[in-house]
Amino acid sequence: MIRQGLLGQLISDLCALPGVGPKSAQRMAFYLLQRDRGGAIRLAETLLSASKKIAYCEQCRTLTEDKLCRLCADKSRDSSMVCVVESPADVWAVEQAATFKGVYFVLHGHLSPLDGIGPEEIGLNLLENRLAAGDVGEIILATNSTVEGEATAHLIAEMAKKYQVKATRIAHGVPMGGELEYIDSGTLSHAFNGRRQV
Amino acid sequence: MIETVVSLQPAFILHHRNFRESSLIAEILTRDFGRFTVIAKGVRTPKSKLGPFIRPFVPVLLSIAGKSELKTLTHIEPWQSAPKLHDLALYSGFYINELVTYFLHPFDPHPEVFLLYQNALSELSNTLELEPVLRVFELNLLTQVGYGLQFDVDNLQHPVSPGKKYCFNAESGPVESEQGDFAGSTFLALEARSFPDRTTLTEAKKIMRSAINFHLNGKPLKSREVISKILKHSHS
Repeated sequence: MIRQGLLGQLISDLCALPGVGPKSAQRMAFYLLQRDRGGAIRLAETLLSASKKIAYCEQCRTLTEDKLCRLCADKSRDSSMVCVVESPADVWAVEQAATFKGVYFVLHGHLSPLDGIGPEEIGLNLLENRLAAGDVGEIILATNSTVEGEATAHLIAEMAKKYQVKATRIAHGVPMGGELEYIDSGTLSHAFNGRRQV
Repeated sequence: MIETVVSLQPAFILHHRNFRESSLIAEILTRDFGRFTVIAKGVRTPKSKLGPFIRPFVPVLLSIAGKSELKTLTHIEPWQSAPKLHDLALYSGFYINELVTYFLHPFDPHPEVFLLYQNALSELSNTLELEPVLRVFELNLLTQVGYGLQFDVDNLQHPVSPGKKYCFNAESGPVESEQGDFAGSTFLALEARSFPDRTTLTEAKKIMRSAINFHLNGKPLKSREVISKILKHSHS
């Protein structure tokens, strides 16, 4: 069937979502229009205001509708500990682990020389200003364990050294409940290099 | 194009980018089939067995299949231990990846370039003097892809004399000139692939840069630009 008119438009717009192809988009569209008009209107309004109002937090670059995000504005958190992550989704992941009580800095990517993504593109100027201001005591590098993630972590560690700020890298190794037999050799050698006394 | 099936081919991943929800598109350098692009489907999921091996600078064995120009990755496993690249050596690795991507045409077999690449990575991981490794790699890469330069004779076929001054022209090589920026000894060092001191290295870098820029026809090397910004951030 050729998709025409408003309905066709709706279906192809829904395809913009990750993991949604034409078939699921069609189901969504029909569901919203036949069963839940109220939900559809709410969704449309929320989408509109979210995409207009949500921007980057001035301090940590995570997504927020306020000037400062909830985490940066929270006085009970230790603002001298900064955890550097690649994406806002990583902030949520670390928050769910509930062990970290500091603040974050979101890079929105990683260094990628072949794509022309350098320090400025991932907001390191802003991070450098924060380091220079002198209120950061420790910087925790929680970038992904990819070559680019490591390169990014390394550069930030160098910057931290310049301002005499302690930089630490999160540990990589055997996952919880993991059996050694099934772990890839790269992770295993990382785990051995990072072993510690018990 | 006919169906190609390649199994357990020594290769390196040069670059990769995410594609759709869970796939990757990777630029690879194989030993016997040259450089080309593969799609690795479903490797960005937690359960993927192949995902962890798709990273640059790791020597791997990979199997591919496919009829179109974009081949599908069917298997990948570690081959040899990966050279440990840190700091500047790592950034230099990105640079040589970009050079290889630009100078090799897709599906043009260059086993020698594969060997050069492999050696360059292992040397980068074992030395603090990165520049000679990069210069030798650039020189040999240009030679292998047919852009070789002769540095021991000038444009008039006179032997280059170490004491004289020369200019450099990417097409004709050294040109003798009183106002030249480069010493004859630098060209002889490039020819011999051995660099005795810092001045020679600095001059050699400028010469190779202009030779490479000439062959790139104005295409900028992104990694070069990014690396200079990185250096500004980390050492200023």
